[in-house]
Amino acid sequence: MRMGHKRLRFVGLIAVAMVLVVACGSSGGGTPAKTFKIGLVTDTGGLNDKSFNHLADVGLEKAKTDFKIQGDVKESKTGADYIPNLTDFASKNYDLVIGVGFLMQQAVGTVSGTFPNIHFAIIDGAGTDANGVDLKHSNVVSLFFKEQDAGAMVGAMAGWLEKNGKSKKNQHVIGAVGGVSIPPVNHYIAGYKWAAKMEDPSIKVLVGYSNNFNDPAKCKSVAKAQIDQQADIVFQVAGGCGLGALQQAGQSGVYGIGVDADQKDADPSVIASALKKVDVATYTAIHNVVQGQFQGGALTFSIANEGAGYAVDNFDLPADLKAELDKVQGQIKSGALTPPADIPA
Amino acid sequence: MPLGSVLFAFVVGALICLVTGANPVDAYSGLLCGGIGIACAQGENSALQISNTIVFLTPLITTGVAVALPFRAGLFNIGAEGQLIAGAIACTAIGVKFSGLPSPILLPMVLLGGMAAGALWAGIAGLLKATVGAHEVVTTIMLNYVAQWLLRYLIIGGPLQLREGTSTSLPIGHGARLPTLLPSDNSLIIFGLPASVYRVHTGLLIALAAAAIFAFLLWRTSFGYEIRAVGQSQKAARYAGISVRRTIILTMLIAGAFAGLAGAIQVAGVDHNLTDMYFSDTTGFDAIAVALLGLGSAVGIVVASLLFGALHAGGSIMQSDAGISSNLVLVLQALILFSIAANFVGAIRRGLPFGRASAELPPELPPAAGLMSEAAVPPPEPT
Repeated sequence: MRMGHKRLRFVGLIAVAMVLVVACGSSGGGTPAKTFKIGLVTDTGGLNDKSFNHLADVGLEKAKTDFKIQGDVKESKTGADYIPNLTDFASKNYDLVIGVGFLMQQAVGTVSGTFPNIHFAIIDGAGTDANGVDLKHSNVVSLFFKEQDAGAMVGAMAGWLEKNGKSKKNQHVIGAVGGVSIPPVNHYIAGYKWAAKMEDPSIKVLVGYSNNFNDPAKCKSVAKAQIDQQADIVFQVAGGCGLGALQQAGQSGVYGIGVDADQKDADPSVIASALKKVDVATYTAIHNVVQGQFQGGALTFSIANEGAGYAVDNFDLPADLKAELDKVQGQIKSGALTPPADIPA
Repeated sequence: MPLGSVLFAFVVGALICLVTGANPVDAYSGLLCGGIGIACAQGENSALQISNTIVFLTPLITTGVAVALPFRAGLFNIGAEGQLIAGAIACTAIGVKFSGLPSPILLPMVLLGGMAAGALWAGIAGLLKATVGAHEVVTTIMLNYVAQWLLRYLIIGGPLQLREGTSTSLPIGHGARLPTLLPSDNSLIIFGLPASVYRVHTGLLIALAAAAIFAFLLWRTSFGYEIRAVGQSQKAARYAGISVRRTIILTMLIAGAFAGLAGAIQVAGVDHNLTDMYFSDTTGFDAIAVALLGLGSAVGIVVASLLFGALHAGGSIMQSDAGISSNLVLVLQALILFSIAANFVGAIRRGLPFGRASAELPPELPPAAGLMSEAAVPPPEPT
C-alpha cells in the first residue's frame, strides 16, 4: 500500500511538472492519462463494521484494480469528523467523494453546497439541509436500493419452506421484526410478505416494530412474541437491534433471516440474508465518474442490476427450492414480477 | 514531565508503525499536515487544517477546565462527557423553543442554559459526594450514561426529534448560533477555498476566556484558595474553617458549568442541532488527558487541547495520505495518558498532587502543605 502511494506521489509530481511545462507556454504534447482520485468517507462504524462501510471499501478496492484510480479512505471516529473528512477530499479536487450511510446526509448536503464542482455520492441517503430536506444539488448522486427485491427473495424462501413443511413448526406463520416504520424498512418487509404469500397463499406474516435500531433486547422481545404466536422464521430488518431477533430465533430453535449484509455469523440459526450490495453501488458510482457519465440525482440498485439479492447461510438449500428461487429471481430481473414497495394487506 | 510523556508516546507509536509495516515518517508527516498544516504530501490546504484543529480543540479547553478544577479540590470528574451532553441538550432545547428570538437575547440564553444544565448534572454528583459520600468517580461515570440515554430518547421518538425515522433534533434558531470568525460564504474565496469551509467560530474566544476565568478563580480568589486547600487536605481545610461540603458542591457546580458550556458552544457554533454523533463523542474523556497533560493549569490545558485537537484532525489526513489507520491516533492518545498516569501514580505516592514537583506548589501554601495531605500515608506524628 505504501509502495503504491509513493508511486502515486511520483506520478503526481510528474503530472505537476507536465502541467508546469504546459503552463509555461508550450502548446505541444498530449494530455497525460488522468489518474482519477476517489475519496471514501466511512461513518463511525469504521471499515471493520462487516456491513455498509466494509462493502463500500470492497467496491472501492475493486475499482482501484479495474480502473487504476487512486482511492483513499478516511474513517470517521465521531460524527464531528464527517464534514472535515468530506471537505478535505473536496478541497483537493477529488473526482468523486463518497459518503457511506444516511448518517452523513446533512454533512454531504453542506459540503456539496460549498464545492459545487466536486462530485459526491452517498449510500442510502441524499444531501440534505438541517431539516432533512433533500437539497437536490446537481453534484450529488444518491445510491438507493430496492429493498423489496432482496426482501422478496428471502420471503420466497420462507414461503416455500412453510408450504413444503420444511420449516421447524410448519404452522404457516412467519414473522418480520422491523426497526422503525420508515420506507427502507417497510420496503424489505413488503417484498418479504408479498413473496411469502405468493409461495404459500395460506401463510400468515406477523409484522412488528421495535422502534429501535441499536438495542438487541428490544428486537429480542418482539421476535419472542412472534415465535410465541407459532412463527418459525423471523426476518430481522432492524440493524444492530435485529441481532437480538436472530439470537432469539436461535434460542427458540427456529430460523432467522439477516438483513443488509451477509449475517451468517450473527447466529447459527440464520438461514439466509437479504442483501443490499453496497459494493456494487460504490463500484458503479466510481465507474460512472471514470467514464465521464456522472449524473446528479439518484441511482437505484435492484436485482435487475445485481445491486440487491440474497445469500444462503447456515442452511443446505434443497435443489427444488434452489430452482424455485432462481425462477423468482429471474422473473424479478426480467420484470415479469415486481415486488411492491408498500406492505401488502 | 508532560513533554516526556508526549515524546514517549510518539517514540512507541513510531515503533508500532514499524512493527505493522508502516512508515512512521509518513504517519507523522500526515499528522503534522492534518494538525497544523505543514509537511502536506497531497496539496492539502494549510489554512483548512488549522481551522479544523481549532474547531476540535475548542470544546477540549472548556471540558479540560471542567476536569482540572475538581482535580484541585481532590475530586476526579469523569463525567465531563455527560455534563457536555447535558449542556448540548439544554442549548438545543432553548434554541429550538425560542428560535424566533434575536441573537442578543437568544445567544446568551442558550449558552447560560447549557452552563446551568451542565452545572446541574455535575451538581448531582457533588451533592451526593458531600452528603452521603458517594464516590464522584462512580456517580459521574453513571451520569454519563444517563445523559447519553436521555439524549437518545429526546432525538429518537422524543420531543426534540426532527421527524419520525430520523435521529437528529430540530435545528436551533439562527439567533442561537455563534458566528464564525470568517463569513460563512460559499462565493468568497479565502486562502484558495470557499470561506465557509473555515468553521472556526467565536466559541474559541469564549473557551479561551473560560480558561482565563479558571486561572483567576483558582489563584486570585478566596474560593480558589479553599478549593486548593480542600484538595491538599480536607482535615486541614476543615480545621482552617473551610466548609468542605460547600466547597465540594460548588466546585462540581462550576466544573459542570464549564463542561456544559462546551456542549452549548459545540451546538451553537458548529452543529446547530443534536445528532447521534454525541453517541460516539469522546470529548469529555479526552478532556481528562488534556487536564492531566496540562498539569491542571490554564495555559497547560490550552496547549494540551491544541495537541489533542491536532491529533484528532491529523488522523484523517494521515489515513488518506499514508494509508495508515487513523486508529494510530487513539493509540498515541492512550500512550500519552498511560505515561502520564504512570507518573501520576508515583506523584500520589510521594504525596504530591497532580504530579507537580514540590517546587511548583502554590506559593501561598506553606512548604509543609504537602505533608498535610491525606494522601501522604503516615499519620502526622504527635509533637
